Amino acid sequence: MTGVAESRGVPAAERAAPLLTAEGITIRFGGVTAVKNINLSVRPGEILGLIGPNGAGKTTLFNGLTGFVRLSEGRVTLDGRDITHLQPQARSRLGMARTFQVERPFEDLSVLENVLVAAFLRHRGRAAEDHAYAVLERVGLADRAAQPAAELNLARRRRLELAKALALEPRLLFLDESIAGLNPPAQQEMVALIRELAQSGLGIVMVEHIMHVIMTLSDHVICMAFGELLAEGHPADVAAHPDVIRAYLGDDHD
Amino acid sequence: MTAAATLPRPRALTFGNLWLSGALLVVIALYPFVFGKAMNFGVSTLIFAGLAMSWNILGGWAGQTSLGHAALLGIGAYTMTLLATPERLPAFLPAPLAPWWGALVGMILAVLLAAIWGGLTFRLRGSYFTLSTIAVALVLRLVAINSEWTGSSEGLFMPELPTLFGLDLFDRKVEYGLAFAFVLLTLIITHLIRRSRLGYGLQAVREDEDGARALGIDPTRMKLIAFMISAALTALGGSIYAVYLQAFEPHTLLELPISVQIALMAIIGGRTSIQGPLIGALLLSIFGELFRTVFSSANLLIYGVLILAVTIYAPNGLMGLFRRGGLKLGVNR
Repeated sequence: MTGVAESRGVPAAERAAPLLTAEGITIRFGGVTAVKNINLSVRPGEILGLIGPNGAGKTTLFNGLTGFVRLSEGRVTLDGRDITHLQPQARSRLGMARTFQVERPFEDLSVLENVLVAAFLRHRGRAAEDHAYAVLERVGLADRAAQPAAELNLARRRRLELAKALALEPRLLFLDESIAGLNPPAQQEMVALIRELAQSGLGIVMVEHIMHVIMTLSDHVICMAFGELLAEGHPADVAAHPDVIRAYLGDDHD
Repeated sequence: MTAAATLPRPRALTFGNLWLSGALLVVIALYPFVFGKAMNFGVSTLIFAGLAMSWNILGGWAGQTSLGHAALLGIGAYTMTLLATPERLPAFLPAPLAPWWGALVGMILAVLLAAIWGGLTFRLRGSYFTLSTIAVALVLRLVAINSEWTGSSEGLFMPELPTLFGLDLFDRKVEYGLAFAFVLLTLIITHLIRRSRLGYGLQAVREDEDGARALGIDPTRMKLIAFMISAALTALGGSIYAVYLQAFEPHTLLELPISVQIALMAIIGGRTSIQGPLIGALLLSIFGELFRTVFSSANLLIYGVLILAVTIYAPNGLMGLFRRGGLKLGVNR
């Protein structure tokens, strides 16, 4: 069991150069500042947790980092390369993948076809289909391969979202609330899968509402409120931070 | 792992239902032997079937509704006819072009137009593209009506054409063969798209542009490719239609109802299915003809009610009904 410490990704991650860096990220919509001056970095094998009350700007930051929302200020690099102005589709080619908070399968297509769309990014013909099927086996959806995606239940839709992202063979994965709303056994399975992915060297950024999940999974946690950084650091330290407690419970408790 | 070994692994990369396409082609091939006296109806129906199939590459696969395909049809018809007519040749051409070369030039022009037109409009989302198609078709119609070199409002007459492998192009049986080949070509291309990376990219863009972008797909590029293929095939159909008509005027050829008719055939047949537009074109033509002869003046009313019924009760077209009914006629799969 020497691998326990390693499995958290910490020693390996500390040594490696950052995969993703974001400096001074600010996103404004008209006069409203949704995200203000956020800095972060993710190394291979590292899980970065983003927390904060509703409306804190987590999903907006997500969309900014993945290219779906234009940054007002700031700079994003992937492997040292500036990708601030790249379209989402170009970022996928460079190794970035994301899931959506509201999972969005292509409902007219089967489960296998949904993943195939993504597998075509790096494979052609039969090889793409084989790759798509292998990813379905990995997330435990192979038995549903022929089923129309529209018929999947919530837990399986989440796994399909993950499968599509993985079929892109990313090095950096953004998970937008992949676990919230699942029943406990399904949560356990998803947690195990995410941990496994990090162990295989993927850098992961995840937004999650369920505190104990994000606290056990993350190597590093960033807590946001009203678009700004509230606290960051080791999960236990962030959870104990008075500002974080105040943001979640309100000012009245003291 | 053991379970996976025993389960038959499903396939996604298939050409779709080739049996259905084969059966339809057999029916179409037998038609002249049974209804040899109704060749006009057969040729025009087949041309519109091919046009509906061509429309659907953009309208169905990419989900971009065009109500301006008459413009592309017109480019094919006018280009081929103008280049074949000695009196109307542009100065740089020493002799008239054979109709097949003229058709090829028409296809190239249509692709160029689609590239520019789509390049300008596909960055916008929603109904902007549809609105632009009506506008572009309107502009082309005005140009055709007001220009001397396109025969202005009187239109064009087809000149004498060279024979194709010794076949007279004005023979209805030869024209039926050409229209059949046109339908066959559009079917083959649709089946190829069905099995390709392009086909899956198009379907992803149709269903969810942002979802597609997250998977590395450029929606603008996908729509442009679909539009260019659709434009080339529609122009080819236009050239064949011109040979069939032998004389055409902008008021009938470039009018909005032609665009709407092509779109309706595909939508009613089923735009998310491979053979839907073909089936839609066949059924609408047959019913249109029946109602015209049996009900005479009530024809358009019944036609209209039928279209309304299909749009309300079968939003995915007639082929969509089969899929929902679990008949598994292999719609799009």
